[in-house]
Order: sequence, then C-alpha cells, then structure tokens
Amino acid sequence: MSEDDRIAYLAGIADPRLSSEDTAEAQRLQRILTEKALWAEPDAGLEQRVVDLIGDAAGESPPDSGTASVSRIRASRPRRRRYTLLGIAAAVVLAVGLAVGISVAVSNSSSGATTFAATLSGTRLAPGASGKATLTQTTSGWRIHLDATGLPRLDNGRFYQAWLKNAAGTAIPIGTFNEGRNVMLWAGVPPSDYSTMTVTRQTAQGGPASSGQVVLVGPTRQVR
Amino acid sequence: MIRITIAGRFVHFSREPISPGTAYLVDGSESAAAGDWDVIRSSVTTVVMGDAEMAAEFAAGSADAVRAVYQAYGRLVYSVAFKVLGDASLAEDATQQAFLQAWRAAPSYDPARALGPWLATIARRAAIDVYRHTRRHEAHAGLESAEATLVSHPPSLDELYEIWEVRRAVDSLPGEDQEVIRLQHFAGMSHAEIAERLQIPVGTVKSRTFRAHRRLVNLLAHLRRGDASPAQLRPAGREVSPDE
Repeated sequence: MSEDDRIAYLAGIADPRLSSEDTAEAQRLQRILTEKALWAEPDAGLEQRVVDLIGDAAGESPPDSGTASVSRIRASRPRRRRYTLLGIAAAVVLAVGLAVGISVAVSNSSSGATTFAATLSGTRLAPGASGKATLTQTTSGWRIHLDATGLPRLDNGRFYQAWLKNAAGTAIPIGTFNEGRNVMLWAGVPPSDYSTMTVTRQTAQGGPASSGQVVLVGPTRQVR
Repeated sequence: MIRITIAGRFVHFSREPISPGTAYLVDGSESAAAGDWDVIRSSVTTVVMGDAEMAAEFAAGSADAVRAVYQAYGRLVYSVAFKVLGDASLAEDATQQAFLQAWRAAPSYDPARALGPWLATIARRAAIDVYRHTRRHEAHAGLESAEATLVSHPPSLDELYEIWEVRRAVDSLPGEDQEVIRLQHFAGMSHAEIAERLQIPVGTVKSRTFRAHRRLVNLLAHLRRGDASPAQLRPAGREVSPDE
C-alpha cells in the first residue's frame, strides 16, 4: 500500500483498501484530530498571568539571586494594584448604575458567548513578533483582545492597524494602536467569514488604506 | 531559542533570527529601526540557546525567558492540562501552576532531558492537583461534579504523548493547512462544506487537504518509525501513577 493511499484515506479523499495495521493507525490519528484538547486555545492573557505569577514568586523566594528582568516585574506590581483598585471602583460604579436602572449589556462578557481565537505569526517584516487574539461575540459586535509581543512601539504618526480579511481578500479595519500588548479592538464582521487576521504598519500620511506592510498574520478559529 | 543582543545589550529571545527590515527594542527603550540595519548589523549577536541554557534563564525568573518558554511550550502544556481536566478554565489554572512548579524545579532540571517533555510531565501532575483541589472544594460545598468520572482516571502518558506530538506537528503547519485539517476532523465538515466555508472550489479543498495531511504525516513520521516513545514524557526520577 502506497503512502499516497494512506494519506488519501486520512484526508477522506479516497477509500483504498488498507491493511488492518494501516487502518488502525490512520483511525488513531483521526481520533486524536477530533480531540478538543488538541485544538483548545488558551486565553490570550494567560502568558501575562504566567509571567506575573513567576515574577511574584521570584520576588518572594528567588531560586536565583535575581536579575534585572525580575526587578522589572517587581516594578510593575504597584501598577497592577492600581489597576485592581480602578477595577473595583469601576465595579462599584457599574453596580450603582444597574441599581438606578441603567441597562448594561452584561451579556457581552457571558462565558457562553461564541468565541474565536487567532494565533498570529510575525512576517518577514517582523520575524520576532507573535500574538494571540480572542474574538468574542457581543451584542454590539465582535470584541477582540489582542496581545502581541516583539513589535516595537510606533509613535509620531506611525501606528499599527489590525484587519479581518475574507477569502476574497476584502480587508475590514478593526482598529489602530501604538503598542501590541493588551489591545482591545472591535469588528462588525464575523470571524467565521473574515477568517484571517492581520496587523499592518501604517502612517497617518498614508491615508486609510492598508500600507501592505503586514507584520502579523494568522487564521481565526472557533473555540467556543 | 535564540538570544539576540545588539551592541552588547540584550534585546530579546526569539524563535527566529534577527533580520533586516525589522525594528527591535534595545533594553526596552531604544529602537533599532529598519533603516538603521547597515549601522547595527555589525553589532548584532545571536546565540542559539539549548534547552539547558533556556531553563537556566527561566530559573533566573527573567520575564523575557518566561515569555520565551511560554511561547514555545505554553500551548502544548495547556493541551495536556485540557486533556486531563476537560475544562478550559481549569486547564488555564493548571497551566499557570505547571509553569510555576517548573520554575521552582528549574534549578534541578536535568539538561540531558528535553525541556518540552519535562514540562509536559509537570503539566500532567499540576492538572491532577487542580482536579483534586476542585473536587475537594466541591465535596466540601456539598456539590458533586457531573464530570468527576471523566477525569477520575487521568489520561496515560501514552495518550498525552500522542496529543503532545500531534499538537506540535499541527502547530508547525501553515495556517491554511491547519484550517482544513481542523474543519475536516474537529468540526466534522465534508469537503463540500469546507469549500463553502472557505469560498473555494471543492477540488481546491481536496488538493489542499491532501497536501496538509501529507505534511502532517511527514511531521509525525518519527512516531511510525518508533524513534520516540512515551518514555520521553516520564520523569527522570519516579513514575507517577494515574491516581497518585
């Protein structure tokens, strides 16, 4: 039995008569490919949580005598605490708002919302860059959280722009930003149809069209 | 993994070598812009790091090294945790615990072992710990988890090894290949349905899926040849029983 026969069977293109050993092997791989664990994508913020967790632990009992990088992690903690306080304050305001009858679309953060994820790779313009995005359906549109690393900050009329693109090549802008960490974007088109996410480098003088300088690209996939 | 320095100053860890046309942050502040390539080229140093050196950087708590190890192995660790726990949120908890435990154990990391399988073993143990903790909490609260039986017998090292290897292979495929394989097997779509989803002809789907599966099979050839074994996932010291 040729290798092409085995691949055709696995790909569902043909049904050649395979040996029982080849059939069992192909079916084992097919079974693994249906596993949820194989395709499950961690939340885009998990990387930062891991870095913070180890940074905190390093501050308490470093297995090594400490490095400049650990110092940087420690230095970031007060800022996180400020964010926590701001978060608590925001929660109080939200609760008061609800009490006086303000309608808030809390369903936007429902854990049951349809969610897509994208793993973005750096192109030849940014080979050291990478990113993860989580796209969550809300009543107002698709809320997209992007966390990209390896992209230098752009300022002074230079910025990044994110896009969702469909199979026909139509690209829809979903937001601009200066730094890739913890970016919030919004899209009015579904990632099921616009299944490629890209990030380009732009200049203010260049107008609204894509510069074509793609630094990150990756497919979107449904995770929930 | 590659450690990149420019003019003797650490830039970052990377899975790809430095190249022209790319801007890099130097010491987190200065930018070596694309146009400066000719100027900086002579001062660029790239050092390919082995697992042992990477583990040493990781053990030192360097945020850049933690990121680099996470980016290289985070999804694999998460897959192992997800396979054990069957729940995204618990798998994220287990992934965090796995990296923390790995960081604590890193000074005693045996450089003769590959970093990835070592992390996978820790991830499995961390996932089992998370499961037990969750069950204890539920029992204390008078709740009975409907999914308890799903993980009462955690996956064997053999099963986790297969998931680990297939995920590693799938992750290294081009995005286009990953997509057709995912749609066919995970989403259970026919070639016609994939064609409709991707808005391409069925013939293109067939050729694309054949090519994708060929690449996948080639990447997994070492499993067929028996070059690698689940033993790679076993800790150097003692075996961990599923119910331990």
